[in-house]
Amino acid sequence: MGFLDHLAQRHQRISIVGMEKNAGKTTVLNYLIEEAMDEGISLGVTSTGRDGESTDLVTGTEKPKVYLYAGTIVSVPVQLYDLADAGLEILRMTRYSTALGQLLLCRVAESGYVQIAGPVNTKDHKAMCSEMKELGAGLILIDGAIDRRSIAAPGTSDAIILATGAVISRSLKRVIEETLHVVHLYQLPRLSDGFVRDRIEEGTTEEKILLVKGQRIIALELQTGLASGKFLDEAIDDTTEAIFLPGALTPSVINDIHPAKFKQVNFILKDPTRIFVGATPWQQLRKRGFSVEVLENIEIAALAVNPFSPAGYSFDHKELLTAMRDAAGDIPVFDVKYDGR
Amino acid sequence: MRLCNPKTKSETGFDHVVHSLNPRSPYGKKRVKEIRPFAPGEETLLEQELSRQESAMALLKTEGRRMELLSEILMQMKDTSFTVERTKNNVLTMVELFEMKTLLLQMLGIRDLLSPLKDSIPEEFFPKDVEEVVDVLDPDRERMNTFYLYDSFSCRLAELRGEKRRIELEVRREQKDRKREVEQRYGITMTPKFEYLVSKADKEKMEAAQAMPELTLQEEDYMTATFRLRGTPVVHALCKSMDSLNEALEDEELLVREALSQQLGAHRDVILENSRRIGELDFNLAKAMHAEQNRCVRPRIVQEHILEVKEGRQLVVEEILNKKGKDYCPVTLSLKDGVACITGANMGGKTVTLKMIGQCAMLAQHGFFVPCQEATIGLSSYIHILIGDSQNVQRGLSSFGSEMEELKDILEHSKDRTLLLIDEIANGTNPIEGLALTKSIVHYLSKRLYITLITTHYDNVATEDNSRNLQVRGLAGANFENLAREIRYANRRERIEIIGKYMDYRLYEVEGEKEIPKDALNIAKMLGIGNEIIEQAKQYMEDRNDEK
Repeated sequence: MGFLDHLAQRHQRISIVGMEKNAGKTTVLNYLIEEAMDEGISLGVTSTGRDGESTDLVTGTEKPKVYLYAGTIVSVPVQLYDLADAGLEILRMTRYSTALGQLLLCRVAESGYVQIAGPVNTKDHKAMCSEMKELGAGLILIDGAIDRRSIAAPGTSDAIILATGAVISRSLKRVIEETLHVVHLYQLPRLSDGFVRDRIEEGTTEEKILLVKGQRIIALELQTGLASGKFLDEAIDDTTEAIFLPGALTPSVINDIHPAKFKQVNFILKDPTRIFVGATPWQQLRKRGFSVEVLENIEIAALAVNPFSPAGYSFDHKELLTAMRDAAGDIPVFDVKYDGR
Repeated sequence: MRLCNPKTKSETGFDHVVHSLNPRSPYGKKRVKEIRPFAPGEETLLEQELSRQESAMALLKTEGRRMELLSEILMQMKDTSFTVERTKNNVLTMVELFEMKTLLLQMLGIRDLLSPLKDSIPEEFFPKDVEEVVDVLDPDRERMNTFYLYDSFSCRLAELRGEKRRIELEVRREQKDRKREVEQRYGITMTPKFEYLVSKADKEKMEAAQAMPELTLQEEDYMTATFRLRGTPVVHALCKSMDSLNEALEDEELLVREALSQQLGAHRDVILENSRRIGELDFNLAKAMHAEQNRCVRPRIVQEHILEVKEGRQLVVEEILNKKGKDYCPVTLSLKDGVACITGANMGGKTVTLKMIGQCAMLAQHGFFVPCQEATIGLSSYIHILIGDSQNVQRGLSSFGSEMEELKDILEHSKDRTLLLIDEIANGTNPIEGLALTKSIVHYLSKRLYITLITTHYDNVATEDNSRNLQVRGLAGANFENLAREIRYANRRERIEIIGKYMDYRLYEVEGEKEIPKDALNIAKMLGIGNEIIEQAKQYMEDRNDEK
């Protein structure tokens, strides 16, 4: 069974997310499309929005143009339809719109290059993906339009493929370290179902910090945890079991909380993309008993490594692949350039 | 025909009804904008309009499920009139062709849905057959709502595409063979993209790779070099023919689109007619739904210029009352050419009744059902409501000044079969001149073939032959003991509501000269004005009566 077949059996929607800009996301996407072609999987291809790339639209360079084979289901905005080099059969005019007009769902009739775009809003994205499914897409690949991890927030997809590689650092050790840190964060334990979770989910729209004390949930008047560490420290007393932060978890929030409280209090976040703590400080926090749970974690379907950096340097592909595989445990790792599986 | 000014439309509550309509499709929305009044003499057309709404109401009642399905199609429709217009001399884009196909399939869908009812609904509701037009965009008659320049549109298109696919395959096969050959010859492995990566540190391999004539250095950084398989002459030749093939394909696609646009253009009229019919159907369904929800009835249209409303309700006020959990007290009124004056207590709903009559007349005249139990209406050629409005005061005119300005306008515009609704004219000036002016206006209007309804506080205004007095029953029949008890413990807002509860808004006709009951002091007292003032006022009234 092929690699993609394997993925398709476990997931319906996979986002491709880069550790950093230029991590080679589009290369990964193209690679996966080739694989799908070889394995005979019917693909759906879309992206999360197109905002942030307006300059590209103007200059006409570096658009996320991908070569799609006949049979693929793809989302294309009206204004990009005529620019497609592939032959596209219009299946549906969706109600989702982008800056470039409403999105069309098309089936590739003649293979060729297509510029893709998708809904910006997570809810729309989900709805559109199920429409693609209806139209026959076995596996949906989502190209995050922005090479930032925040776009990986759960909801858009079932799992992600994380693109990493030489672009992170000149030191192989650091590349591995940083990647593992992200992998670790994404796989933080999910808050179990029950009283606390129910109460948080009821209140999430209010975006308030919540303190959990046994069967009592207390909402703090602070809107966000940013620069409010001191107040948090004050609010956490002996009976506090957990604290829910609707915003970001940054070093400034944590530094003001007395480390002795880490062992007692469980931190709850919406999802792992809310954590802005580097690999090393994170390790130190963990040693002091700091524990975090998330409402939704992110499943990593695979790691894609790219030994080349646009800055000009590169690693030996085998060395990188082996090192990453040793470190990644059960998560499959593949090299997009070398096909070293 | 200009029936009335915008203020009359909004003050009577006619606009409110139009805005409450909820057509599902852009064609229905467009139809709402085309609402126009029917002039005297157009009674037959108006009856037809009302009959259409009646059939829409029957559809809603008996064909509920079918109407739900229809509503689904209507909601998905887009306004493609511009695209239809463009078929005249333009080539439609692919997206436009897709939209046209969608529209045509929707028309077919509506026609299919309604065809069992074909004989029982107005012709204007039933879209014409467009199978032939759909065939233009769907030659294989698959009737799927998808669009592409399918091979069946043109043999040449199919031919060129086949050729293109063949060349693509050939290039790939050629490259693959070549790759296998090179890999075997030199014992190297290349990527599926026909690339060979070499670490530059490996001098030996680098030199070897550079020496391979089949490879060319594509890019290098300081650690790795990427070599790419050179194309063979066969590949080059194929690529070249591919270029010209692509060009030919583009030309052919344009030709096909051009032909399709022209063929669609030839059917423009039927497409536009169907859009109109769907709009008419949608519009009438929206009107029917509104009438159903607001318990409106079909007015009886007569030649004579009369206005009879039984148990009429003003919908704007009713809506507000219903929101507060209260009921509207319907009013019955029968008017003909001449002047009718409504007098009666403050807070007696005189103005609301005036607006109610205006709304009923306006609705009937525009082909709507009317919120009442029964209505008999003769068409007017001019309708105007003169009612105090804060805008003119903001413009710097005194209320009396703006009133007179508007009155002048009205008198100039009025012609036979006019309906005038006048709210408390000349109450912004001294009572002596005010009364005189009001009487004189009534005198003037009673001589004309107008229906005039005036609310006033002045006594005995309608003394002319052709005029009569209507009075609000008001608090006359109320149980004052109960009222006083309730008022005593109420707060300010509640007081007004309690008075409203005891108020009887219905009208009765007053024969001969009779003084209107003076409820103003009573009401002022109930609303908490001190005894000192009320008693003094009563004293003044007695003095005045003595003088007489």
